[in-house]
Amino acid sequence: MDKRLLSHLNWSLLACTVLLFFLGVGNLFSASAIRVEDGLTFSSFYQKQLIWGLCGLGCMIVAMCFDYRQIRNLAWPFWLVCVGLLLLVPVIGVTTMGANRWISLGFMNLQPSEPTKLAVLVLTARILAQHNRSLGWKDFFKVLLVGLIPCALILEQPDLGTGTLVLLIMGGMILFHGLRSYVLKTCLLAVPCVAALMWFVVMHDYQRQRILTFLDPGSDPRGAGYHILQSLIAIGSGQMWGKGFTEGTAGKLRFLPERHSDFAVAVFGEEWGFVGCVALVTLFSLFLLSIFSTAMQAKDRFGSLLVVGVFFYFFSQIVINMGMVIGLMPVVGIPLPFISYGGSATVVNFTLLGIVLNVSMRRFMFKG
Amino acid sequence: MKNKHPADSSRGPSLQQPEPSRRSRWFGPQQVDNEGYQPPRTGALLLQGLVAIFFFVFVSRFWYLQMHKGEEFSRQAQANRLREERIFAPRGRILDDSGKVLADNRTACGLALIREDCHDIPATLAQISQWTGIPLEQVWEKYQVDRFKVKSFEPLLMVTDMDFELVARIEAELIDWPGLEISVHSKRSYPEKDLFAHVLGYVAEANEKEMEKDPDLAMGDLVGKQGLEYKLEQRLRGRKGLYGVEVDAHGRMLGKTLREEPRSGEEICLSLDRDLQETAWNALSGEAGCVVVMEPDTGKLRALVTSPAYDNNLFAAGISKRDWDALRTSNRFPLQNRVIQSVYPPGSVWKLLMGVFFLENGISRYETVFCPGQVKLGNQIFRCWRRGGHGSMNLESALINSCDVYFYIMAERLGIDKLEAFAKASGFGSPTGIDLPHERSGLVPSREWKRRRFKAPWVRGETYNVSIGQGYTLVTPVQMAVYVSALLNGGYLLKPQLLNDAPREVRGRIPGRLETLRFIVESMRKTAGGGTARVVGRKDADMGGKTGTAQVVKLKMSGDRRLRTAEMEYAQRDHAWIATWGYKNGKAYVVIVMVEHGGGGSSVAGPVAKKVYEHLFGPDAGAPQVIAASDGEGDVSQPPVLTPPDLPGLLKPVPGGRQQNTRGRREARVSGATLAPRPTAPAPILPDLPARRGAPRGRVIDPSAPPSPLTGQP
Repeated sequence: MDKRLLSHLNWSLLACTVLLFFLGVGNLFSASAIRVEDGLTFSSFYQKQLIWGLCGLGCMIVAMCFDYRQIRNLAWPFWLVCVGLLLLVPVIGVTTMGANRWISLGFMNLQPSEPTKLAVLVLTARILAQHNRSLGWKDFFKVLLVGLIPCALILEQPDLGTGTLVLLIMGGMILFHGLRSYVLKTCLLAVPCVAALMWFVVMHDYQRQRILTFLDPGSDPRGAGYHILQSLIAIGSGQMWGKGFTEGTAGKLRFLPERHSDFAVAVFGEEWGFVGCVALVTLFSLFLLSIFSTAMQAKDRFGSLLVVGVFFYFFSQIVINMGMVIGLMPVVGIPLPFISYGGSATVVNFTLLGIVLNVSMRRFMFKG
Repeated sequence: MKNKHPADSSRGPSLQQPEPSRRSRWFGPQQVDNEGYQPPRTGALLLQGLVAIFFFVFVSRFWYLQMHKGEEFSRQAQANRLREERIFAPRGRILDDSGKVLADNRTACGLALIREDCHDIPATLAQISQWTGIPLEQVWEKYQVDRFKVKSFEPLLMVTDMDFELVARIEAELIDWPGLEISVHSKRSYPEKDLFAHVLGYVAEANEKEMEKDPDLAMGDLVGKQGLEYKLEQRLRGRKGLYGVEVDAHGRMLGKTLREEPRSGEEICLSLDRDLQETAWNALSGEAGCVVVMEPDTGKLRALVTSPAYDNNLFAAGISKRDWDALRTSNRFPLQNRVIQSVYPPGSVWKLLMGVFFLENGISRYETVFCPGQVKLGNQIFRCWRRGGHGSMNLESALINSCDVYFYIMAERLGIDKLEAFAKASGFGSPTGIDLPHERSGLVPSREWKRRRFKAPWVRGETYNVSIGQGYTLVTPVQMAVYVSALLNGGYLLKPQLLNDAPREVRGRIPGRLETLRFIVESMRKTAGGGTARVVGRKDADMGGKTGTAQVVKLKMSGDRRLRTAEMEYAQRDHAWIATWGYKNGKAYVVIVMVEHGGGGSSVAGPVAKKVYEHLFGPDAGAPQVIAASDGEGDVSQPPVLTPPDLPGLLKPVPGGRQQNTRGRREARVSGATLAPRPTAPAPILPDLPARRGAPRGRVIDPSAPPSPLTGQP
């Protein structure tokens, strides 16, 4: 690879990413530990996460190697394949725990909603890039359709988390690109109507229950509110300096649910306290700002929009997950990038960062 | 993309412009933005704003949770994971006065099931049933009821107590039955069984009411339900220790730290003597009745036998319904502690009280009453027990011969009101305060009581009845023991003590002069010497007694002959009483025997008392020769028996009435305690000691005193 390309690389983003990743692995080491009578036993989550991280690194390098503009050509076919797979899910899907999200490939289960997030991201970027002015009604609906079709299919599975994520990525990109003021105003008015529609038509009972529980977690401390309450207890008991690495009790004694995936940051908060949490929030902010700077520096609109899509991809997940853990958001099963355990999520995260780095590397391509 | 080879540089800058690939040509025109692409301003602001909001909202939320409410959450986290677990404290043992164990803790082996580890519960339960012989349905029922009380990883006690043979057998096979384990716990056992059942009572698992009252009690704790186990619960129980237990979200224990050592309960030593108790028990030979042996100077009880009794181990192990019903419905009332819970008419033993009553209310001991065998009152005939009558009787001869007519006449003269007040002041009609639950008061009838009870006025005949301990008069045997003790110790009504280290506790005083008490004691001495209580008399000890035969129903006559005991229905037979005291080698005892429906006091209760004295003083050396019944006013030539200072009542009364004494006295009403062996010699004076409390027993020896005729020692 060209050395000059490397010199343009967004090194601060890479540094933030590596830092976050190893923070995540360290936290997983502690989070996967369970206290038994004679000490701690560790599950191998952190080792697996390291391996997945290596895979992700490979994917990231691959994603950096080619000119990102080539992705534009894949946008439509990728999207179509994803929608096709989503349509297949209700027909040949595997139902687990009341949700039909997977297609069995024999050796592994494929979750079509995962690549759909990327497909929507790329296609939205491609379509928006064709317009260099704010969107009017017609164009707005065209873009909206790209997101709403797969989103509806995902919500049907049901998978509120991924569906919301798809909408947020698309919405964020549209807002970044800009809407005509009358379109924007109308949309803002429409938000309450859509929310009501979601509540009464789209949402399932358990999803409504989650939101109600979110609003009042104390109402059912042993049932639905248990997760939130235990999470708050874990984080709150960390106080100023935290209990120290692997010294936390909420996770070790199994009071905290999903401690290595969705609630991993609660383990972090308990062991590192307020100081650690502020550091983590700061690190995430720097991470997001690094992505943002790339979006500003990109040489073309498509690259910029691509990076903005990635920005919203990470931003939404961070806000939803951490918001849930600290009781600002309802319980939605969305992992925290780099901190929560998850193989495919890690690979996707690194790949997307590869694309961001790709854009940052090639921002001066046309300069002599 | 860039070719840095120097040879290529000649090809010019056109190479820097990438050529559209074939693929890109296929996928429509490449509308590439030029370098002048400017990201939208509002969009940039939006992204920066979002990051800023994210930072501030989340940091402030973390501040709120961790700094503002951190301590509260910390407490909750502690409460989540730390539980307290009580550590069993062994209950104190109960010993007799010589250290023989009366109540002990033994380890019992049970069989417990840990549901989580058990793969096949039905088969395991069937196996338990096969091992123990408990019907399978019963095992299932216990399992179904108890399984909700413990968590799946906690032992569920299926069998509480197994003998060691069974334990050994099960242990060998236990490896094939995962989830089963032998659990060891503590049980109370009473090696003496029936012998001390009523005194000790028993323990059983605490019920909800008790747990509510006492926060220290938890499910499954043993608590005293009866007897001393109940009364001394706080001393016996000890204090439980405390473990801090760390648990996980499922309540599984992960670690323990000792926070507080358990303190075992106090070991309690009784004043009762196991061997004496056994002797008295055997002497009763299965008759329903009771024996009280009390030290008159200290109030300590040496034996407290009630018969029939029950095996209190049955209760400690959890009594079966069948056993319980058998005990409850038995017509011999084995659950009744007859010493304190049964009230009986005292019969002639009551005359010990009447004698003091007469003397203290102005009746001269020399005044005589002629006994023709019966008295007529209106159209009612009040008989003396001897049909032919006793002839002319003074107080002493009336006491020795137990002449009913004398007491009828004299009591009638003084009236029921005075009698009632006197009896109550002497400790009757109220509990003695013994450390056992459910003590009854007995009854001293009065005009007021009769009006309340029967809505009828008192009639004179009833005073007759009360005067000989019949009618409504009811006493408990322990009250009688306290009274007789008071006669000996100068009138002090002592609390009967069961514990070895209990101090002497005075609860009242007989309103009578010491002189009077000595007179009654002397009459008892004579009664034992040759009167109705001669069965207990013995050569080698100073003895006294009074028998009583208390009628349960009106005298049964067959023609004009009184029915013999054996001819009567059991429930109509007389109660046999004997109230005695004995003194030898500086040790004095009061022995009260009561045989329910036993018949005559001297023939039935007497031999029991005799056997008790044989245990206390050794086998009888021969016929009594202490004092002849005919001694009358007391033989001046006989030197007095030296007694401990706490037993002034044992000293012989001053002949010829009152004599000014020379020493200070505790109470003005009690007349002098001087010894007057002969008028010419100066009276040896006993040192005036205050009432001793828990001081070692021993004789106070006056060097000037002549040797005792009984022991040959000074």
